[in-house]
Amino acid sequence: MAVTVANARRARLPAALGGALRSNVAGLVIGIAVFTLAFALYTSGFTSRINIYSLSRSIGINGVVGLAMMAVLVTGGLNLALGAIGVCSAMVVGWALQALGLGVAPALLLGLIAGAALGAINGLIVVTTRLHSFVVTLATMSIFFGGMVLLSGAQGFNALPPGLTGFGRMRLFGMISPLLIVLLIVGFALFYLYRFTALGREMLAAGANPVAAKLAGLPVERLFVLCHALSGALGAVAGVLASLRNGAIVPSMAGPLGSDWLLPAFLIPVLGGTLLTGGEVSVLGTVLGAVFVEVMTSGLYMLQIGEFWIQTALGLVLLGAILLERARAGMALARGRQS
Amino acid sequence: MKGLLRTDWIGLLVLVLAGGAALAAARPEFLTAYNIDVILVSFCLTVVYALGQGVMIAIGHMNLALGATGCLVAVAFGGVLEVWHLPLALAIGFGLLLGVACGFVNGWLTYRTGLTSFIITLATLSIFKGAALGITQAQPFYGIPAAVKAFGSDRWGPLPEMLLVALPIVIVIAVFFGRMVVGRQLLAYGGNPHAAELSGIPASRVVILAHTLSGVLAAVAGMLSVARLQNATPSIGDEWLIASFAAPVIGGAVLTGGHLPVIGTCLGVLVVALINQALVMLAVDPFYVQVLLGLLILGAVGLNRLREVRLGTAPAVRLS
Repeated sequence: MAVTVANARRARLPAALGGALRSNVAGLVIGIAVFTLAFALYTSGFTSRINIYSLSRSIGINGVVGLAMMAVLVTGGLNLALGAIGVCSAMVVGWALQALGLGVAPALLLGLIAGAALGAINGLIVVTTRLHSFVVTLATMSIFFGGMVLLSGAQGFNALPPGLTGFGRMRLFGMISPLLIVLLIVGFALFYLYRFTALGREMLAAGANPVAAKLAGLPVERLFVLCHALSGALGAVAGVLASLRNGAIVPSMAGPLGSDWLLPAFLIPVLGGTLLTGGEVSVLGTVLGAVFVEVMTSGLYMLQIGEFWIQTALGLVLLGAILLERARAGMALARGRQS
Repeated sequence: MKGLLRTDWIGLLVLVLAGGAALAAARPEFLTAYNIDVILVSFCLTVVYALGQGVMIAIGHMNLALGATGCLVAVAFGGVLEVWHLPLALAIGFGLLLGVACGFVNGWLTYRTGLTSFIITLATLSIFKGAALGITQAQPFYGIPAAVKAFGSDRWGPLPEMLLVALPIVIVIAVFFGRMVVGRQLLAYGGNPHAAELSGIPASRVVILAHTLSGVLAAVAGMLSVARLQNATPSIGDEWLIASFAAPVIGGAVLTGGHLPVIGTCLGVLVVALINQALVMLAVDPFYVQVLLGLLILGAVGLNRLREVRLGTAPAVRLS
C-alpha cells in the first residue's frame, strides 16, 4: 500500500486493491486459511459456535489495540503507554457511570476524551522536548497507571449498566460478537481517514519525512500530537471493549502498567505491513493481522501445548514476520537495481 | 577541584546525600543498619541490570528483553540445581552461558536485519518469558543450595555479601568503557555509527558484543535475584524495565548513545532505592513510586537534553 503523497489523488480504490495484493495482505489471507484449516482438522471444537464467538471477541479487542498502535507508528514513534491509557480511560468510563451516575453514551464519550487527552499529553511532550517517544511514553506509562491506581484506590467498577453488559454478551447469528463489528467500524473510519481525507494524507506525509513535510508547509508538530491523541482515543475504545469481555472494569485487566498489550500492539500492525519507520500504514493488514494472531492463539490453545508456550510462539511469529519483511525488502531492492 | 565540579555526577551525588540527610533528619530510624541494608541489597541487584541496559544505551540501542533474559536464566539456574543436581560452579557457568546466548541472539538479529533493537527484543522478550513460564509452569524452584541462599542473606555489619559481585562488575564496566579500546569503540559507534564504521570499527562486532554483554549482566542479575529471594520464581525480572532505563537516564545517559556514565548510573540506582525506601518509611502508597519514577525519567531526560543544547552537542533534531 505504498502510495506516495504526490499521486495520492489518483490513488483510488483500484490502486488500493492492487497494493493490497502485493503487500502482506495476500500472505496473511493465505496464512489464516491454512491455519484455520489445520486447526479445524486437528483439534476438536475449533469451528464450534462457542469458539468462533470467543475468537470474534478477541479479534475485536486486539484488532483495535493494533490499530491504536498503528495510529502512532505513522509518526515513526511509538506508544508504550497504550495499555495504561486503555485501562485509565475504561476506569474513567466506570467512574462516570457509577460515581457520576451518567448515562452510557456520555460516559463512553468522557472515556474517549480521556484517552485522547492522555494521548495528546504524550504527543505534546514528544514535540516540545523533541525526545524520542520511547522514553516519553515509558515515563508516562508509569505516571498514568500509577496516577490511576492512586485516584481509584485500585478499586474496579463491576456494576455496569445492563445495556453495556448485554452488548458485551450479545451474539449475532448465534456466534459473532458485536465487538468484532466495533473493530470493523473503527477500521473503516481509519481506512477512510488515511486514504481519502487531507488530514490522514498529511499525517502519513509528516511521518514519512518530517523535515520535508515541514518544508512543504505542513504543521508537523500539530499532526504528530493529533496522531498521539488518535492513538489514545483508540486505546480508550480497546479498554472499553476489553472491559465488556470481562463484564467489569478492573485496573489489572492489561497486566502491570498495562504492559500485557505491548506484544499484540506491535505484533499485529507489523504483521499487517505497517512500517516502524513511519509514513506507511495498512488498516486492512492490521485487521487481518489481528485475525491471524487470534486464530494462532486459539488454535495453539486447543492443541494444548500449554498457555505459556503460546507467548513464545507469538514472539516467534513476530520474529518471523520481521525476517520475512526484511527478505522481501532485500528482494525489492535487488529488483530495483536490475531494472 | 574544577574538574571534579565539571563532572556530570557531582550534582547527583549532592542530591543523594542531601536526600539521605533529609530523610535521616525526618525519620531517625532511617540510619539503622536494617534500612541501610535494604538499600544496599536493592542497589546490588539494580545496578547490575541497570548497567545491562546502560551498555545498550551506550550504543544507542535498547534491550526490552533484559528482564525476560534474567527470568529465563534465573529459572534455568534454579532448575539445573534442583532437578539435575549440578555442582554450583557448573550451574553458574550454565546460567552465564545462557545469558551469552540470549544476548547474542538479540545482537545477531538486530545486526542482520538492520532493524531497531526495540522490535527485535520485544519479540525475544516474549520468547524468553514464555519459555521461562513454560518450563516452570509458573511455579518457582525451591531447591536452592544453602550456599546460594547464604550468599543472598549473609552480611558483614550492614554490608551485604552481594556487593562482592556488584562492585567488581561496576569497576569492570567502568574500566571497559573508560580505558579499553573495545569499550571506546562501542561508545564511538553509539555516538555516530556511520563515522565509526568509516573509521574501521566493524558494526557487526560492536552490536553483537554490546547485546551479549547486556545478556550476561541480565544473567548475573537473574542469579543474584535467586540468591536474594531464596528461590527461582518466574516473576523475576518483571519489574526491571522502568528502573533499568531510569537509573542510567537519571545518571546522565542519553538514549541516542555515545555515553555511559557508570558513576552516574550507580547514583541513579541509589536515587531510585532511596525513593523506594523513603516512601516505605513514610508509609506512602507504593504507586507513588510509579508516578515519581515516571516523572524522574521525564525530568532527567529533559535536563540531559537541555544540557546538550547548552553545550551545542545536541544531535540533529528528531521529531519522533
